[in-house]
Amino acid sequence: MAVLVQDSGRELRRIVRTNEEIKTVVLRATKINLMAMNAIFLAKRAGQSALGFGVLSNELRRFAMDLQKQMTRLREMTYGSVGTITALVQQGRVNRLLERTRKESAGSGRKLIDEAMRGRYGLAHGRHRDQITALNRRLNQMIADTTQLVELGSVLARSAKIEAAYGGPFSTSLMQVSSDFERTIGEIQSSLESLSKHEDA
Amino acid sequence: MKTAQVIYEEGAHRWLALVRDPSRPDYLIDTNEYLVSVGDDAILLDPGGSEIFPAVFSALSTEFDPRKINKLFASHQDPDIISSLSLWLEFNPNIQCYVSWLWAGFVPHFGGDQETFIPLPDGGADIPLGGQRLQAIPAHYLHSSGNFHVYDPHAKILFSGDVGAALLPPGEDSLFVEDFDRHIRHAEGFHRRWMGSDRAKRDWCHRVSQLDIEMMCPQHGAIYRGEQVKRFIDWFAQLEVGVIK
Repeated sequence: MAVLVQDSGRELRRIVRTNEEIKTVVLRATKINLMAMNAIFLAKRAGQSALGFGVLSNELRRFAMDLQKQMTRLREMTYGSVGTITALVQQGRVNRLLERTRKESAGSGRKLIDEAMRGRYGLAHGRHRDQITALNRRLNQMIADTTQLVELGSVLARSAKIEAAYGGPFSTSLMQVSSDFERTIGEIQSSLESLSKHEDA
Repeated sequence: MKTAQVIYEEGAHRWLALVRDPSRPDYLIDTNEYLVSVGDDAILLDPGGSEIFPAVFSALSTEFDPRKINKLFASHQDPDIISSLSLWLEFNPNIQCYVSWLWAGFVPHFGGDQETFIPLPDGGADIPLGGQRLQAIPAHYLHSSGNFHVYDPHAKILFSGDVGAALLPPGEDSLFVEDFDRHIRHAEGFHRRWMGSDRAKRDWCHRVSQLDIEMMCPQHGAIYRGEQVKRFIDWFAQLEVGVIK
């Protein structure tokens, strides 16, 4: 039972860390969205020589929006986890009180507590363990999907950098913007790596 | 561990007082719980806080099968009254809890669902028990704004919740009030501070003085018997309440 309580405490701390990373990623996705909008205007000003850059900037904007949606789903999932963990903490408290009751009881009272605890402990322990395992599996899967999505963003940013080289007089500005994309996406990748570590911990 | 003491018994009709827990930590206020049973029908009055559930359950199970408790009564919403609700539901998920309608949306934070609660109207109601009827007597604002006591007309016992409560010093832990004048000193500060309405107090005194009461059982402290009940009502009627002194 003490293990249950420790588990739930660890899970709650993990959820808090995950939510903090989610917030960071969402902020960076918003930043990419704004940067992409500016890049689209810049590409329009650059004209024919930045057509490819413009297309990539559009794709980066779509990527930023997809990433925000993905992070919203991830956040909803962590909220669901909080519900499960809270139930686990409550179960742990009830179990602790029943343990104490058992120690203080004798005769038929103790038998009743034994019966109640056998039923509760076996069912609740197994059920919550399964729930936590399933939640962690889903979280890990979603983080892996997000990592793939961000990998696509990284490819787009690198391609934008190549396109920037053909931007004629706007080349320097376009290069600057594409470097910003690359750096911000790199930061998102670091956050996702950190998220993966939290989930594996 | 608390002890279970029979304070009334006539045929299948019984009152058990669950009192005095020497192993209770000092930071928890001491409470009395009362089980009223008529045959196999039983109601636990102010079942207590979750932290003292082990002591209440173990004492109670020496005298009564806890699975047969099918009713709870919460005089009001405080944690020392009813935070053990979810634990009692472990033993009987169909248990029903009588509580003021005012708290029917608050107490479920301690456990239960919409089937669990029977909201009591402000004017009070009868509580059926084994073919007999207990009466939920209004005691609003004493101290909670939605507050009830329970009167058993057959046993002539009034469960008076926080009214009559006394914070007894170590060593003065008898079940019944032995010396009224000495005892009431331990009740005075409590009543001045916790009872917030002089008008509510006068209403209550008028209401219960019309009942035939042989025992008045508070949630804290000792039980008043016989003449002491009238003495208490008279004392309370003239006490200035709702003040910090």
